[in-house]
Amino acid sequence: MGQTLFEKIWESHIVVEKQNEPALIYIDRHLVHEVTSPQAFDGLRMNDRKVRRPDLTIATMDHNVPTSDRSLPILDQTSAIQIKTLENNCKDFGIKLFDINSPNQGIVHVIGPQLGITLPGSTIVCGDSHTSTHGAFGALALGIGTSEVEHVLASQTLWLEKPKTFEVRVEGKRKNPHAVTAKDIILSIIKNIGTAGGTGTVIEYRGEGITDLSMDQRMTICNMSIEGGARAGLIAPDQKTFEYLRGREYTPKNYESLVDSWKDILKTDSDATFDKQFILDINDISPQVSWGTNPGMTCDVDEPIPSPDKFSNGDANQKRGAEKALEYMALESGTMIEDIKIDRVFIGSCTNARLEDLIEASKIVKGQKVASSVNAMVVPGSQMVKKQAEEMGLDKIFIDANFEWREAGCSMCLGMNPDILSPGERCASTSNRNFEGRQGNGGRTHLVSPVMAAAAAINGHFVDVRKLDLN
Amino acid sequence: MKGNIIKYARDNIDTDVIIPGQYLKVHDYAELATHAMEGLDPDFHSKVKEGDFILSGKNFGCGSSREHAPIALSHCGVKAILALSFARIFYRNSVDGAFLLPIEISQDAYDGISEGDEIDIDVSKNEIKNITKNQTYKMKPFSEIIGKIIAAGGLFKYKPDQD
Repeated sequence: MGQTLFEKIWESHIVVEKQNEPALIYIDRHLVHEVTSPQAFDGLRMNDRKVRRPDLTIATMDHNVPTSDRSLPILDQTSAIQIKTLENNCKDFGIKLFDINSPNQGIVHVIGPQLGITLPGSTIVCGDSHTSTHGAFGALALGIGTSEVEHVLASQTLWLEKPKTFEVRVEGKRKNPHAVTAKDIILSIIKNIGTAGGTGTVIEYRGEGITDLSMDQRMTICNMSIEGGARAGLIAPDQKTFEYLRGREYTPKNYESLVDSWKDILKTDSDATFDKQFILDINDISPQVSWGTNPGMTCDVDEPIPSPDKFSNGDANQKRGAEKALEYMALESGTMIEDIKIDRVFIGSCTNARLEDLIEASKIVKGQKVASSVNAMVVPGSQMVKKQAEEMGLDKIFIDANFEWREAGCSMCLGMNPDILSPGERCASTSNRNFEGRQGNGGRTHLVSPVMAAAAAINGHFVDVRKLDLN
Repeated sequence: MKGNIIKYARDNIDTDVIIPGQYLKVHDYAELATHAMEGLDPDFHSKVKEGDFILSGKNFGCGSSREHAPIALSHCGVKAILALSFARIFYRNSVDGAFLLPIEISQDAYDGISEGDEIDIDVSKNEIKNITKNQTYKMKPFSEIIGKIIAAGGLFKYKPDQD
């Protein structure tokens, strides 16, 4: 019987595997950032261990770096210490670091692909749940905790239970691909499979609705695999993948021969079977807006917020969850999404802060002004994205419309740096999590695509971007 | 292992409410513990006692990979989480650092156990006894690897069988 793409990558990375035992898996690339690594480096020191493969380990600082003027000192002392600690750890252990002043600094999941560090068929880990992003290149990319970070630093391997396989097939063609985006596809998938629908599995996204997408869009899809509970998300590499990675700063010298080998191997065999399957037809899907406090609590932009009864389908905990979510979000079921007014707009994060996201959002913003009641910001995913956007004049479009144009980092996605919501503030956000307090204590998050966020900024409330001329 | 239950009758308790992002810069575990569950239950720190267990619904610990979440809970005395299901990264983080036991329970155990009940967990028998109500439930056994990591006392003490 044939194998799935996941099974092929898994098998080619087994160091040790016995019957009914976990496997020791070799890790090709380890990405490190300032928040989940300090204790791991301390552990190495305590046990007098070295980093086994510093040449396969790459670090940057993204979670709590300020996104304001970088010539100024970092005011938050605990952030400054964490950033300094990463610098010292990288120096002590011989690890390549893209620090706060590097032109390659940025969100770890944005810079990996941009620098050609993320490669098809490889295993990639990082102490961050959104590591799944790199699966867009056909890499098995897993988010891990700090103990496992230490284990990989020390051994370049991980003990893993073999995940199950989950085919998510996206069929059809979007009628208006500028208005209905990859973000809407993945939110729609999570709405249907639920936030635990992918637990214990690696999702492979397949079908015309996936192969049609650009690499930037595919990363948005794989990025949110974790919000559906999956260990990782994968998309088989194709011509778009190979072209994206060609000629980047860290793309291997023997790239063309690698591509030749990948073309034959890195796909699911036609007679392979998956443990689980879900099919989404996107011919008629709408822009999505989350209304609750997890990404599964999402509806179409032209729908009313569902009642807890309708949402829960008879499940008592789901019903209670929906009631609590509406209370936290200060919303009532039956309210039309377009009637929800917003205070803040955040275009950023490893989900939606790549160049294409900013280009698409800028089309809506051009020549317009942010509504007077709204405070809006754009935080590019990396300094390279920022530079490319500036070369295209996108910064001017956003600044002229009264958006703030910031330096790269995770920023208001998770509220670790000064970019946070105040209690009660409502935000249209291109990030990945609408958990209670995620963007700041008491803050209310609605997850949307970059074009939906841009349109909300201009109008002061959500609007169905299919009504706008986006071409 | 005996302890009392703190029950959160809901699904999807995420790591952002277990330990909000603003505290991920805190390296002192005792201080981290004072902020455990702050995003969900500001009274948690005043009511939790050494040896307590948390009982909750599906997909406990979803979201961020922050190991700070099981660390914060364990450093305020929580010895086990009993839940209908767990998000995988939280689950592994809990046992890798030997912080606490993530125990998968059945729907009848979830429904039958209440806030404050005294519980006795016997991992060797895969049994959960509700002492307060004199009821006994089965827990889902740990998988091979998880059982071995727990028995060893964490990921760094685990050694594979040498056969």
